[in-house]
This record gives sequence, structure tokens and C-alpha cells, in this order.
Amino acid sequence: MSRMSTTAPARERTTRQDDVTEPDVPWVVIVWNDPINLMSYVVFVLQKLFGYDREKATRLMLDVHHKGKAVVSSGPREKAEFDVYRLHGHGLWATMQKDR
Amino acid sequence: MAGTFKRVGRDRVRVRLAQDELAVLRGLPDQLRTVLGEDEDEPVNRRLFPPAYLDVADIERDAEYRRLMHDDLVKEKLSNLDLVTASLDRGSPSVRRWTVELTDEEAAAWLGVLNDLRLALGVRLDITEDYDGDVDDTDPRAPAFRLLSYLGWLEEQLLDALQT
Repeated sequence: MSRMSTTAPARERTTRQDDVTEPDVPWVVIVWNDPINLMSYVVFVLQKLFGYDREKATRLMLDVHHKGKAVVSSGPREKAEFDVYRLHGHGLWATMQKDR
Repeated sequence: MAGTFKRVGRDRVRVRLAQDELAVLRGLPDQLRTVLGEDEDEPVNRRLFPPAYLDVADIERDAEYRRLMHDDLVKEKLSNLDLVTASLDRGSPSVRRWTVELTDEEAAAWLGVLNDLRLALGVRLDITEDYDGDVDDTDPRAPAFRLLSYLGWLEEQLLDALQT
């Protein structure tokens, strides 16, 4: 028979997907520059998918164009994945990663 | 280049094409369908269905993303192609011009198909940032480069009409 401990139990180490132990880590969605898509098309898609006004969508597109990439949205992993899916559906080259 | 898109009323977009433009466009959807039926390693498909995660640590997440999302993405693109094909099959030909009125849904499908066609052509032509639109007429790929420009011109017009 083991003695009952009166001290607080040690923190259990469990193997879980890290987005369960880090639920608040936001993910960012990145659109990458590509040499084929029209600038006007990228602006249109950003407005359509994210509700950005024309100025913001244009700024983001110009960042993509001149800097090679831009963060277009962020949020929990599921939301970011859905945003990537919609961007892929519109032919944009998008990826997601943890916001660092 | 004679094709135009124009918003008419609140929820229609009118397309007008010359007969030769119509002939070119009618031949394109099937080519895209063929590409979509090829495997994921085909270069056009690699561009149309890129990874969602680049980080090596997320390899399994990316595999899961592809497993869940790839078929839906293909279905969407095929659905757009069907809408475009159906609209190309109707419309009224006059002697010189062909006209059809698209619903908002069809216009969105046309935009998606035009863009996918440009991506496919761009991959096949190995377009890079250095491409400035100049076409060397002695290049056997010149017709393909001209088609890429033409589709871009159509797409710009459609975008204008959609945002009117």
C-alpha cells in the first residue's frame, strides 16, 4: 500500500498535439508573389475573401509584389487553414505558419 | 482583340466575343480538365494545389490538409469549368459577334477559369519574374505567349465589369 502524498501532484507530461497545449498561438496566412497572377486579380481576391477595402487590399498586394510575400490574415489554426483553402481555390499561392 | 465584358443591370455581365475568340475559348476548358485529371506531381497541378504548410515540422499537417481539401478544390474548379462550358454553348451568334449574359455565379466561374488557364499556361511556358510580355515571333511558343496575354486582357476586363 502506498502512502498518500500530501503535496500537490507533479504536472503530468502528456503527449498532445501542440495546438491543444498552445491554443492561443496564432497562425498567420502568407500570400507569396508569383509571376503569373495579375495584380488587379490579387487585389480583387483579397477584397472578396477578407472584406478588405480597396486601399488595404492594394497595399497588401504591393507588399506581395515588392517584398515577395505578405501576411494577409491570422487566427487559430483552423481559421488559417480555411483561409489558405479559399486562397488556393482562387489560384493564389498561400501558406500558413505559426506567428513568431 | 475584340472581346468585352460589361455589367448590365445589377446582376448580369454581358460577354461579347468575335467568332475567332469564341473558337479559341471553346477549346480551352477541356484542356484544363485533362490537366486536372493528371497526377498531383504534374507541374500545373503542383501550382494549382500548392502546400499549405512549408515548415518541415508541419509535414503531417500538410498531408492532412491535402487529404481533406484537394478533392474539394478540384471539384470547385471542375464546377467552374462546367459553368463556363455551358455558357459558351449558349449565347446568340450574330454574323460577327457572339453574346451571352452571365449570372454573377457564372461570371465568378469565368474569372476562376480564366485565371486557372493563365496559371496553367504560365507554368507550361515557365514564366518567371523576368517575363515582361515581349514575345519573340520566331519562338515556336509565341502563340502560347500571345494566348497568355489575351487571357490576361480578358481577365482584366472581367474584373472591371465585376467591380462596376
